[in-house]
Amino acid sequence: MEPHAQTEIARRDPATVMRLSRLGSLHQCRLSFMRQLTRRMADENWSFSRPAFEIDDKGVGHAVYTAQGPDRAYSLVAFAHDLPADQRSDRVIAEAWDATFALFDGIPTPEDIDRLSQNVPLQEAGRVSETELSLSRANRSVRLWTHVVDRLAAGQQPDLEQIYQVGYLMRTTAVYGSGKFGAADREKTADRDEVSGPFQIEMLSVYLTRVFVRDLVQYMAQVKGGDQTSALDPEIARWLGIGNSTGLGMAPFIVNHPVLFNNWIMAREEAISRVRSIETATEKDARVFRDVFARSRQSIAWWQSEHPIQVEKLAALKDDLNSIGAFLATDDLTQDHPWDRIIRWSETALSEEGQELLASLILEPYGDVVDGLSSCMADTNAAAQVIDGTVPVSGVRTLIRNSFDWALDLDWNDPENCARAWYVSEEKLEPRLGERFEEPIADYEQPLAPARDAALAFKALQEWPDDAPIAEFLLRHPEHRHTVRRAQISRVAPYGEIHDNTIGANVMPIDMLRAKLSFFGATHFDPRSDRWVRICMYAGAPYPDELNTANADLWVYPEVAQ
Amino acid sequence: MTFSLNEVEATAKRATRGAGYAWGVAEEAAKATRWLSAQGFDGPAILAQLLKREFAPCLERHIPVLQNGVWVGEQDLCPLMTGTAISDSPTVLSQSTISISNLAAPLLLLPFVAAGAKKLGTTVKVSFDGYSAITDGVHLICADCSIDRADHVEITEGGHIQNGRPLQSRAAPNAGAWQVLNSMAHRTYAPATEESRLLGAGSGLSDND
Repeated sequence: MEPHAQTEIARRDPATVMRLSRLGSLHQCRLSFMRQLTRRMADENWSFSRPAFEIDDKGVGHAVYTAQGPDRAYSLVAFAHDLPADQRSDRVIAEAWDATFALFDGIPTPEDIDRLSQNVPLQEAGRVSETELSLSRANRSVRLWTHVVDRLAAGQQPDLEQIYQVGYLMRTTAVYGSGKFGAADREKTADRDEVSGPFQIEMLSVYLTRVFVRDLVQYMAQVKGGDQTSALDPEIARWLGIGNSTGLGMAPFIVNHPVLFNNWIMAREEAISRVRSIETATEKDARVFRDVFARSRQSIAWWQSEHPIQVEKLAALKDDLNSIGAFLATDDLTQDHPWDRIIRWSETALSEEGQELLASLILEPYGDVVDGLSSCMADTNAAAQVIDGTVPVSGVRTLIRNSFDWALDLDWNDPENCARAWYVSEEKLEPRLGERFEEPIADYEQPLAPARDAALAFKALQEWPDDAPIAEFLLRHPEHRHTVRRAQISRVAPYGEIHDNTIGANVMPIDMLRAKLSFFGATHFDPRSDRWVRICMYAGAPYPDELNTANADLWVYPEVAQ
Repeated sequence: MTFSLNEVEATAKRATRGAGYAWGVAEEAAKATRWLSAQGFDGPAILAQLLKREFAPCLERHIPVLQNGVWVGEQDLCPLMTGTAISDSPTVLSQSTISISNLAAPLLLLPFVAAGAKKLGTTVKVSFDGYSAITDGVHLICADCSIDRADHVEITEGGHIQNGRPLQSRAAPNAGAWQVLNSMAHRTYAPATEESRLLGAGSGLSDND
């Protein structure tokens, strides 16, 4: 038999996919990093233990949670603190937290715990070592924490509606990996199957953090309520995720890692193109899709935001859900390239939120077609960073045009087009976005405006002969070196560049944050400003003692009461 | 206390930018410093040595041109600009011996020669003022040495790698040199103001909810 062409519907054009408004509308999917982790842990039958839980009646102390995989163990070392309310800040400039954590490579000795207890609570001001893989901290959701403690202590269960709407008892405010503050470099673990995928260390750390938070709230309720305290109902506990509060620090990441970001987007685009290329769907596949769609409606119903832009997007998304519902009432989605048809329909019928939700949802029935792409999402291509100086000037011009044609004729001196500048403040080295013409920051600008820089390089290249090797140009114009590198990277990373202005007066940094967080598998994006967003992770996920291959994947979609 | 190689790379990049080099060159300096550290050299100290020479404001005087078969500059050559000229066009390594005159911080040339050797899939020998090094891109044979400039450098294809330097996963830079890099890196940070504290990053809303 002739091998079947795997893909006939092409991947979507980067010029469409890589617009900021679309990146800012992405949703989690089968390829999300949290789901990769829970699938793997269930498939490999990981075991979990709690070798220490030494917390006093004020809620101060430490605990250790160990996850044992087939080859190695990883342990979350958690420190609980008694934080005065006036010190509770999600900003990176905070200096104290409700809880602090390190993910330890293996099983820590008492000496390790002692060393970590001197450093982890200090976060950026402390030092960790090569045996630590991540460093993080979390603050309570004060309202929900108090509610759950009080209810349990009174012998009652917490109100599920409140849990659905907040989603978590604690939110992390930074999870540092990859060699930060002395921790092990990614190279130490990059060849290990279980953590070779992007952010698997960080996702494991957060997964274990969620267990710790559940145990801590139960313990604090017990301290308060004594004998009459209720045990938290597991069905309720499952809807307690871990929040995350993310600021601008994350936005430069997707610009600074074009190969990695490309690999995430390209894996999802390839998955979408494969599913769209399926000619006929079985009744079962169509049923899986309908089921997941209904369940995602429930999740979206719990999605709260007070930010005007997200309020508007959510209203459009809710209209989109109704439109999709109406489409499903008339089409059984089994015949005539059903997934391609619904995607084509969505392109004009739905908002970008709805389009991207749908693009993620059509992947759900097809784990066998999609999940293998998980292994393509890490960046293993260090050679892509090395400039090929033999490429002629004309070749680099073409590459720049491919990604930035739209930017070349823009007037980059117009304040509207360059109103903002990215810089790093000397305070905790925090990335910030400022007003170029109102603050003295231009001298400190970070290279986070690839479109403007591409236009500048393109202009300089116009004065050079077509056939001159780019190395000669770079020797005379080192100021364009980063742009030439990015242009050459685009040959292997077609989705590596944002096709939008990252320094314009109207740029919304939360779009960049959301793009990254959606690949983590985050839900319930709740912008607190144009550069600050809260999200929810692992809400609905089975805890370690419940995790199995039947519940390891679709937990992100709440079961709907029939 | 040791540092991760990621910390070495990040600090080297900021320091090189702070010293006035372009971002793209700072990226090269960062990777080069990391590579030297992985080979067990004090990469940050070698970079600090170069940055203290303050080439960046008049970089054109430190860029190589070919003159009578020798790479020369108006003044001592910058190893970053000379190095990128090699790693950008590694075929120069296999064409004939490269002769370089008056090179600052010559150990910083090694990572670029290594990148070229790796790309060509070959081994390359570097001789500088009585020292020598051989690399295939990943491994390096070179005695510990501290040399702040070389009168004459020769690079030829060939040589054989056996027992390269043991690869390191951590760095323990000289404290003074590390301080030099950090103070140069500091030049890239904008002073914090109350306004930027609020507008530049946060939401201005309470997190105590």
